Parts: sequence; C-alpha cells; structure tokens
Amino acid sequence: MWTSELTLVAVVGLALIVGEALLIVWLLVRRASRRRAKLLLEERLRFETLLSELSAGLIHVAAADLDPAIERGLGQIVTFLRVDRGNLDASGDGGPGVRISSGRPGVETLPWVMDGGQFPWTTEQLRRGTVVRFTRIDELPVSAAIDRASYESAGTRSHVSFPLCASGPMLGVLSFDTVRGERAWPDELVERLRLLSEAFASALERKRMELSLADRWRLEQLLSALSVAFSRLSAGDFDHGIQRGLHQVVTFLGVDNGSLIEFSGDGRTARSWAIEEWMDVGEFPWMTARLRRGDVVSFSPLAELPDDAAVDRHSYLAHRIKPQVAVPLQVGGAVVGGLVFGAVGAERAESKELIRQLQLIGEVFANALSRKQGELEAQRLRQDLAHIGRVSAMGELTASLAHELSQPLTAILNNAEALQCLLAEGAVNLELVREALEDIVADDKRAGDVIRRLRVLLKKGDLEFAWLDANEVVSEVAWLVRSDAVGRNVGMRLELAPDLPNVRGDRVQLQQVVLNLVLNGFEAMREPGLGDRTLVIRTARDSAAAVGISIEDSGSGFDETDNDQMFQPLYTTKTEGLGMGLAIARTIVGAHGGRLGAANNVDHGATFHFTLPVRGEETA
Amino acid sequence: MTAIAPTVFVVDDDASVRKSLTRVLVASGYAVEQFASARDFLARERCARPCCLVLDVRMPGLSGLDLQAALAAAGRRLSIVFVTGHVDVPMTVQAMRSGAVDWLTKPFGATELLNAIQRAVAKDVEDRSDEARVAEVEERAKRLSPRELQVFALVVTGMLNKQIAGVLGVVEKTIKVHRARVMTKMQAGSVAELVRLADRLGVVHLTGPEVALSPRPDGLAADR
Repeated sequence: MWTSELTLVAVVGLALIVGEALLIVWLLVRRASRRRAKLLLEERLRFETLLSELSAGLIHVAAADLDPAIERGLGQIVTFLRVDRGNLDASGDGGPGVRISSGRPGVETLPWVMDGGQFPWTTEQLRRGTVVRFTRIDELPVSAAIDRASYESAGTRSHVSFPLCASGPMLGVLSFDTVRGERAWPDELVERLRLLSEAFASALERKRMELSLADRWRLEQLLSALSVAFSRLSAGDFDHGIQRGLHQVVTFLGVDNGSLIEFSGDGRTARSWAIEEWMDVGEFPWMTARLRRGDVVSFSPLAELPDDAAVDRHSYLAHRIKPQVAVPLQVGGAVVGGLVFGAVGAERAESKELIRQLQLIGEVFANALSRKQGELEAQRLRQDLAHIGRVSAMGELTASLAHELSQPLTAILNNAEALQCLLAEGAVNLELVREALEDIVADDKRAGDVIRRLRVLLKKGDLEFAWLDANEVVSEVAWLVRSDAVGRNVGMRLELAPDLPNVRGDRVQLQQVVLNLVLNGFEAMREPGLGDRTLVIRTARDSAAAVGISIEDSGSGFDETDNDQMFQPLYTTKTEGLGMGLAIARTIVGAHGGRLGAANNVDHGATFHFTLPVRGEETA
Repeated sequence: MTAIAPTVFVVDDDASVRKSLTRVLVASGYAVEQFASARDFLARERCARPCCLVLDVRMPGLSGLDLQAALAAAGRRLSIVFVTGHVDVPMTVQAMRSGAVDWLTKPFGATELLNAIQRAVAKDVEDRSDEARVAEVEERAKRLSPRELQVFALVVTGMLNKQIAGVLGVVEKTIKVHRARVMTKMQAGSVAELVRLADRLGVVHLTGPEVALSPRPDGLAADR
C-alpha cells in the first residue's frame, strides 16, 4: 500500500522535478527567445532608423546630388542586409537609363533587370506592380525559364526586386541579390524595402521633375532670347541673326547641326540658312515634301526612312547624319518653312518632348520669317518713298545740275571746233592739237562723272550696306550741290575730320540724308537781304561709338516749338517741295542705328546733326 | 578783220570753259584776255581798242549781272555777251535791258559764239565812232562862252534873234554877234547843221534863260 503511495510520491516528486526542470528549461528558453526577440527588435529598430534616415535624407537632396545619395543608401542597405548586390535601375526618358549599384567587391553585376530580353517574366511582374522575390532559384515558375537562365548566369541565388512607381508609370527597379548563399525575404522585410523603394521612387520622380523644370526654364530662356534677338533684326542683319539663333538652338539641344528652311510663296523654291554648310534642300526631297505638308519628320535610325525617301537616305548617309528631326513652321495655317536638326554621332531617340520643344522654337523662327517678309515689304515702301524723295530733291537741283553738265559740254564743243578751225587753216601746230584733245577727254570724263553721280542717286535699287567713309559720302554730295550753292549765293565749306572710323550704311541713302539737309539749309537762307550765307558741312567723331555729321546754315533758324514737328512727313514751310525731306532723313538715319536732331545756333541759323554707329558697336 | 585784232575778255569761273572759248577765239584771230572772276576783270584798266566782254552769269562772289551793274556805275560802256548754264527769263530780260548784246545758253558752239562776238565788236566799234564824234562836238562846245552857249541853246529851238534878245534881255544886235560866234566855233554852216550838232550833244529842250547849257553828262559819254 505504502509502496503505491511511495510510488505516487515519487512520481509526483519526479513530476514536480521534471515540471520544475521543464519550467526552468522553459524559463531559460523563454529568456533566450526574449533576448533573441529583443535583438530582433533592436535590429528592426536599426533598420527602421536606417530606412527613415535614408528616406528623410533623400527629401533634402538636390537633384544633382541624388545619384550619389542613392548609391550611399544602397551601400548601407546591402551592408545591413548582408546581401551581395543592390541595384537601382532608373529608366531614361526615352533614352538609356541610369544604373546605381552597390555590391560586395568582386561580385559580378546583375544585368539590367528591366531588360525584357533577358528577364521577360520579371519585367512583366514588375510592370504589374508585383514584387519579385525568390529564396531559391527553384522557386521561379516554369514560365520564367528565360529569367532563370539569366539569373543563373549572373550567379544570383536569391533575389528580390521592387518596381519604382511614384505617381505615374514605372520609373525603374530596385533589386537585391545574394550570390554566396540563399536568403529568405520575409514579408516584413519586403514591406520595409517596399517603403524604401517608394522613397527612392519619389526622389527619382522629383529629380525628373526638377530636371524637366530646369529644362523648361532653359527652354523659356532660349525662346525669349531668340524672340528678343529676332525682333531686333533688321533686314540687313537677318541672315547673321538667324545663324546665331540656330547656333543657340543647336547648343541647347546638344545636336550637331541645324537649318532653317524658308519656302517661297509659290511653293516651288526654298531658301535655307544653316550653322554649317550641310543643308541643301534639293538633297532632301522627301523630307522637304513632308515639311511642306506640315508633317513633323523624325527618324532614328536611318532604317526608319521609307522606301520613297531613297534620295534623302543617300544624302543623310553622305552627310553622316543619323538621327534627325524636322518641324514645319507655320504662320496663319500656311507652312512657311521648316526647322531641321540632326546629329552626326550616335543615333538617339527623339522624344515627343523634344518635338514639342522644337515646335515652340519653330514658332519663334516662323515669326522671324514672317516678320522679315513684313519688314521687307515695309522696307520696300520706305525705299520707294526715299526714292521719290531723292527724285524730288534732284528736281530742285535740276537747274544747277544742267549747269554742271553744260560746262564740260560747252568746253568740248568749243575745243573741237577750235581744232576744226586750226585744221582748216592747214598750219597745224601739233602741240596745240594735243592740248585741245587732252582737254576734250578731261571734260568728257567730267560730264560722265556728273551723269554717274546723278544715276547713282536716282537709281531705285536695293539697300546695300557696306562700310563707308563718312567724309567721302559728304564730299560727293557737296560736289553735286556746289553749283546750286553758287546760284544761291551761298558759300559752302567742308570741315572734315581726318581718320574717322568707317560707318555702316547704304551709300545712296546716306547721301540722300546729307543732300536733304543741305538743301534744307539752302532754303533756310533763301530770304533776300540776308547778309552772310554760309553752309558748313562738318564731320567729327561724335563718341567712341559714333561718327557725327552736321550741316550748319546761317539762315534765320527755326521755331523751336516745331522741333519735333518738322521731322514729321508733309511738314513744310516752303511753297514747293513735298515736305518729306526731313522725315525721310530721320527714317533713314534711324534705320542706320543713328539719331537725327536739330538745334538753333547761338548767333544765327540752325544746325542739323546726325550720328552713325561705327564698327564694333553692332547691335546684337 | 580789222588791222588791229579786237580784244575779247572772257570772264568765267570755270577753267575748262574759259580755256576752250579762248582757243576758239584765238583760232579766229581775236586777242583774248581771261579772267576767273568778276573782281579780277574790274581791276583791269579800260581798253582803248575795239573789244567786247564774254561774261558768265553764275559765278561765286560777284555774278555776271553784278559785274554789268558795277561797270555801268563806273561809267564803263562795254559790249557784253552773256553766257549761262541755264535759261532764266527774268535774268535775261534784266541783262538785255542793261545793254547786253547777246545771251548765249550753254552748251553753245563756236559759230554761235563767233557770231555774237562779231555783233558785239561791231557795236563797240560803232559806239566808239559815235563817241568820237560826240567828243569832237563837245570839244567845240567847250570853246563857247556861257552867253554863247545860251544863245546856241535858244537858236536850235528855232527862235528868231529878236525873240532870243527878248528872252535874254539884250538887244538884237548883240544876239547877232553871239550867233555868228557860235556858228564859227561850232563849225556849223547853217542853222540846220547847228541843230544836228546840238542833237548829238543832247542839248535839245531849253525852256528858260536861266537853264545853263551843258553837254551830256560825262558818265554816259564814253568808255575811255
């Protein structure tokens, strides 16, 4: 009986011991697991801290510093997770992407995960927003055979990759790999890493936006610079200005060449400007035809060109142009030209964004072209008016010019008749004959000079801008009017400064300005009873940037209240004349970048003064 | 052509015109003197030989018309052929009114010039002989006493001796003596001749005894 009791006691005791041991073991185990849990917790905390630091750090990183920051972050995570490599592959905007990677030394890099050729299944998963992970390569499904081969050849044993998406399409992929061993990717870790991928994605997105903002800013700068430059272009500087503009655009786009094509109104001929001699419209019939239709022409590579573009293809090959984009220029719905850019080097994808930018730039060029047309029209009108003014001024000089011409004609006729007379008498003194003939030749030249000068002033030609000697311009006019001065009993004097720098202008128009001012001065001294009639034409260095020409008369001066009025068209105090002289003079001087003004002299008469810019002061 | 070549003065500011005209004129036997300005010509002394002036209208400083006026003011009669580069009717009228012989518009040839010169020289010669005759009559008139001059003036008006005596308040016999002296001194054979001489002198209308007789004013007389 007691034996069973004893047994019971023993069993109970044993049970208690075992229980206690188990309790101790349990307690021990529990302590260990608590410690482990604590360690785990600490590690998690460190990871969380790392991630939050990384995420927070990325927010303040400037776009330009983002790539190094991401690289540092990747390195920290690779170290922390004790994996072998970490990659961030960002897809480029239509172009090649960016890879930021960090890995253990000596570990071969993983091929581009988003390469659809090597990783079709992975790419597909990622595009759908699914995280791809495997602890062992066997976990990959059968349908991922190609991916599997690629992973194996890269030495990958376990892998996790996250799609980088911020608000729109996938920006890239964040991936981690082990090579030396397998590694599990528990949900908790994946969740943390996904958070990190989001931080990276938003940083990338921000960078892309900042870059595109900066691009947009640069584009705005370019557009406004071009607009300003083109609006200041005079017809004479047009070619130069367009080339400068093309150069700016080429620099902006980072391409090798650029051309502006202008189509004529009848659609048959075209004119082109290029920063380098490469663009002959005739070499690119297909492209030109498409531009005329208003199409954007863009290709890269050449193989994209259709069969009917054989001539163009040949030209592109000859010029070694690979990618090219051309946008039509339209004004009021009509295609007036095209803007063409190309690169000699590598092929490159031309994005929609680029074409949109080009279209904006194209608008500026289109405006310049249409303004040039308008300006040419206005210039033609101005030239017509100036011509009428010259003809009318010459009309006032007719009597004097007839006189100027009749002098040599009289001399020639009388010399010739004197010779006839001598010959008739038979006793020919050869010396006398020689002298008379010399005089005839000289007088004939003189008559020819009168006619030549007249023809120059009366001709109705295009503007010809050249570098001119102001003294020469002034002297020619003085020569023309000297007879008129004598007839008007005016003493005319030239005071020309030596060593003047050349001025840029149209000879005929500048002579017209001087002629108008001189005739104006003569008129001012017309009233009878004027004691002293003197007209002084003076040239001088006006400033570092300009030459000044002044015409001073000794008339009665003008009413100061008329100072601005008298430069208005049709203003006149004379009974004859169009009243256009001073208005035309001011317009011409203005078109030459100078100023024309007038002031009464201290003693008597008035002085008209105008300036002309000299070399080195070309307006942009 | 006369034995002594007439002189042509050429005044023109244009050297080549001057030279060519000179060549033509010299070839035609004239003596030529050239002047580049009106002032230069004014400085030249009067010419005693037959002469004429070829004068450019438009010149700096003194114009041709200014020179014509200056010559007239100085009492120098000259046959002037004006030459000009352009036709100006008012100027032409003024020049002709002031006694210009001709007005040539440039360009003109030797024939026109020589014809004009010929006319101008002829007029000069004619003027000179007139002047010579007038001068001679003047010389005679100068020998008349004031009283004889008065009688002369009244005789040529057709008055009888008796009437003249009445006008001058002397007896008829005295007038007779004066009249005979006048006829002698003036070398007139008849009253009619005396009247012609008076006409040449410009002594025509005498209205009263107090009006002193005088020959034509010197200024209009002659260029010498």
